[in-house]
Amino acid sequence: MAAASSSSSSSSESNEANSKWLDAHYDPMHCPSVCLSPPQLVVGDLGMAGHTMRLKVYRGTGLASESTLLDLPSAVVTFLMDQNEPRTPAVAVTSGPFVYVYKNLRPYFKFTLPPLDANPLELDVWEQAKEVSRWGGGTLGQRRLCHYPTIPFSVSPTPRFLAQDVPEMENFVNLHKGQPIKRQTVITCMSTLKKNMADEDAVSCLVIGTESADVLILDPEAFTILAKMTLPSVPAFLDVMGQFDVEYRVTVACRDGSIYILRRESKRPKYCIELSAQPVGLVRVHKNIVVGCSDETLQGYTQKGKKLWTVYLPAPLMTMSLLDQKSRGFQAVMVGLANQEVHMYRDKNLVDIIRTQDVVTSICFGRYGREDNTLIMTTKGGGLIIKILKRTAVFEEKDTSLGPPVAQSIRLSVPKKTRLYVDQTLRERENAVAMHRVFQMDLYRLRLMAARAYVKALESSLVPVTSTLQEPLKMNAVVQGIGPTFKLTLHIQNTSAGRPSINLLVSFLYDQSLYAMKRAFFKTPMLVPGLNYPIETFVECLSDKGISDVIKVFVLREGQSMPLLTAHINMPVSEGLVAA
Amino acid sequence: MVYVDEIDIDQEGIAEMMLDENAIAQVARPGTSLKLPGTSQGGGPSPAVRPVTQSGRPVTGFVRPSTQSGRPGTMEQAIRTPRTAHTARPITSASGRYVRLGTASMLTNPEGPFINLSRLNLAKYAQKPKLAKALFEYIFHHENDVKNALDLAALATEHAQYKDWWWKVQIGKCYYRLGLYREAEKQFKSALKQQDMVDTVLYLAKVYFRLDQPLTALHLFKQGLDKFPGEVTLLCGIARIYEEMNNISLAAEYYREVLKQDNTHVEAIACIGSNHFYSDQPEIALRFYRRLLQMGVYNCQLFNNLGLCCFFAQQYDMTLTSLERALSLAENEEEAADVWYNLGHVAVGIGDLNLAYQCFKLTLANNNDHAEAYNNLAVLEIRRGHVEQARALLQTASSLAPHMYEPHFNFAALSDQVGDLQRSYIAAQKSKEAFPGHVDTQQLIKQLKQHFAML
Repeated sequence: MAAASSSSSSSSESNEANSKWLDAHYDPMHCPSVCLSPPQLVVGDLGMAGHTMRLKVYRGTGLASESTLLDLPSAVVTFLMDQNEPRTPAVAVTSGPFVYVYKNLRPYFKFTLPPLDANPLELDVWEQAKEVSRWGGGTLGQRRLCHYPTIPFSVSPTPRFLAQDVPEMENFVNLHKGQPIKRQTVITCMSTLKKNMADEDAVSCLVIGTESADVLILDPEAFTILAKMTLPSVPAFLDVMGQFDVEYRVTVACRDGSIYILRRESKRPKYCIELSAQPVGLVRVHKNIVVGCSDETLQGYTQKGKKLWTVYLPAPLMTMSLLDQKSRGFQAVMVGLANQEVHMYRDKNLVDIIRTQDVVTSICFGRYGREDNTLIMTTKGGGLIIKILKRTAVFEEKDTSLGPPVAQSIRLSVPKKTRLYVDQTLRERENAVAMHRVFQMDLYRLRLMAARAYVKALESSLVPVTSTLQEPLKMNAVVQGIGPTFKLTLHIQNTSAGRPSINLLVSFLYDQSLYAMKRAFFKTPMLVPGLNYPIETFVECLSDKGISDVIKVFVLREGQSMPLLTAHINMPVSEGLVAA
Repeated sequence: MVYVDEIDIDQEGIAEMMLDENAIAQVARPGTSLKLPGTSQGGGPSPAVRPVTQSGRPVTGFVRPSTQSGRPGTMEQAIRTPRTAHTARPITSASGRYVRLGTASMLTNPEGPFINLSRLNLAKYAQKPKLAKALFEYIFHHENDVKNALDLAALATEHAQYKDWWWKVQIGKCYYRLGLYREAEKQFKSALKQQDMVDTVLYLAKVYFRLDQPLTALHLFKQGLDKFPGEVTLLCGIARIYEEMNNISLAAEYYREVLKQDNTHVEAIACIGSNHFYSDQPEIALRFYRRLLQMGVYNCQLFNNLGLCCFFAQQYDMTLTSLERALSLAENEEEAADVWYNLGHVAVGIGDLNLAYQCFKLTLANNNDHAEAYNNLAVLEIRRGHVEQARALLQTASSLAPHMYEPHFNFAALSDQVGDLQRSYIAAQKSKEAFPGHVDTQQLIKQLKQHFAML
């Protein structure tokens, strides 16, 4: 029953009753949010046309707190900073080169990435601008800087200087030439890494990927840089596993379309996976890496970069995240698609589909409030969807889309081949020729024996089924009763295709000292093909000695002494003497 | 001197079975009754693998009085002579076998009864305990006069001031014979209180068995095992109950226990052997049957089983020799029919359908009521294109053995092919009734329903 109901649910996900999810909350006109973070609260960020960026904290379905952000946020995570009780997590928001840390809904700390060394050429030009006369300096600087377009500029005034019209450059240079030259990088992505314990509520470090192609690991309390690793390209997505003090592994999807895997104590990436297209999302399920690519594929890789599988998605991928149902130990990848669907994949098998009202742009699964399995999604139009996984919901292993049928993965309980069997096959292998010869000889003898017995049976018409072309008949007899009177029923049937049988006689042969028959001779009616004719008679047992005998029944053709059919009826012992 | 083993001889008569007034519930809860064998699933093989008896239980490896045909569903089944038994059921258990024992002994004494019971002064003999016991046994077993035996036992137990457990057991036996199960239960329980005896436990279990309370009987056996650890008859009793309740795996476990205590227990060896055979390990079954052979069992059935095991374990050189010997050892036509039937299976296995046809025909020549042979013959006829004959044979098979699903299904499939959807549907329903889990039947019914819906 269970299998039947669940299979129907997968075929009609839209059916509310069969869905695995409960709709908890949907607010279509909310805000376009960028990032989400799970445990007890949602943190939604709002950036509308580059201003009024806010950090919003929700409790239940209502807004709990709101604070203004200075710049566009690029990542939000929650983490535990210290061992202090109560264990309230802090929220880290990155924007530009800064990490803002909020605690107890208040700004707590601001971490700025260390400045990079400015380009010596640029530095040189500005130095000159300070000294040289105001006409020459500007043009010179402009000219020289324009010659080297590949030089990475600092965050300092240079880029804005280059964007000015020539007449304004002068003023600009004069205005800014007194300021120090520094080059500042920007944070692109952020994640957390447990420091020295694997517990749920252990202290975590922040792992930051920057525009300067570095990965930094920050100490949670002192906010010093614990480790720094360099990548060949700018990181876009981060995934971290392990503990900082023990062993960890950072998987980074970069903008050059490659995935790099970094390990503790390695300054350079250890493995590299070159993808077929740009990565859109990166999730680690158990030890495998699942990457969503911009060519509408979902690809699975091992930890060492070996490709396991590819799934072709029906629409471009918008976002992806991990579904970790801890109570059942179930992990799947949720993929938000551009066709307003969220697909869930366990390995390469599609296990569930959720249809949403709008295109989902960010997605998150985890504990929200008191509910362990909550799915929170924000949509392109600024909606917020909260769904709760039913506690009875079980994700089937099977694939709801095309693929091998479920039956293929069911293990049959075939008993193991025993040791004895193996020994016997050995014997068989060694003595194959002898065994075969013996068997063949026995078989010939058996055939002879069977043929002899068969001919004998045919000659005396012992067989209750005739297959002669003239009179194909079949007869069987049933004895009912306890005794001394038995009811004997003969079932005669004409098995020919279309010829009725007429003029058939039935007679009985029995020991007259043992049995008495009410009627021992019958003339059968015309036998229509295919119908069963029961002929009944009564047999009385005359002996009280508890012995029994065989009664023979013959079916004869009128005028022939040779029976067409014979049946031997083993009469039961009469039990009824005492009862009678 | 022949002493009757009172414990094992037992067969429910038609009257007890059809007019059962001891049943506690008409519709028993699953797993608590012997009457609904299909309800308790003990992980045994399906009917597709292991053939079942009339009542839907898998066939056992050992023919006991109660395994011959199970409980019949209808009066017609009850009065029909079942296979492997040479008689229909007795009317009541008060008649039947016991009478025959009596008459058989009468044959040796043609000049008349040894003791004239009606003239005995039972009260006088009840005063003499030693004589009374012998007299009781004579009356009970030889004369089969349960009423007089009960009178004597009642007087004797009174004389013993209700302190002799032996008399209580005898009174219980008398009550059991008379069908007064609750009274018998009281007597046996009282006897058990005075003296723990394996016999008494077995008698009491018989009472519970008759009252259709297998779980109580199991409990009783297990209590008995606490007092008599490793007692073979008790272990065997447990195994039999599990087997009757379709819990084959547990039954096999207890049969193994039996073998640990008594490694020459024929019933246990045979049951484990057949269990292995039907769970796709014929090579192990072969070991068990060889063990039986070593123990000196030398009959048609054993060689038949050996031959089949050899065939399915791919020991071809021994197969036909064993079956041939079985054929030569067959004591009557029914045994010979069974051997021919199995030879037919071997022939089907090696693809010699002509030989198979002959073998199945010979089975029918030897035993007119061999439903399985009718079914297999019908399948061969279908292959030869003789549809009408096949239909007649299948009809015969299904009327002879309505508990088998194969003829019903074959008939349904055949009718479906010919286009007789109505008959096909009816037969498919019967097949479903006999074996609800049969996938092909379910598919056929589904297909037919679609047909009907379309029409």
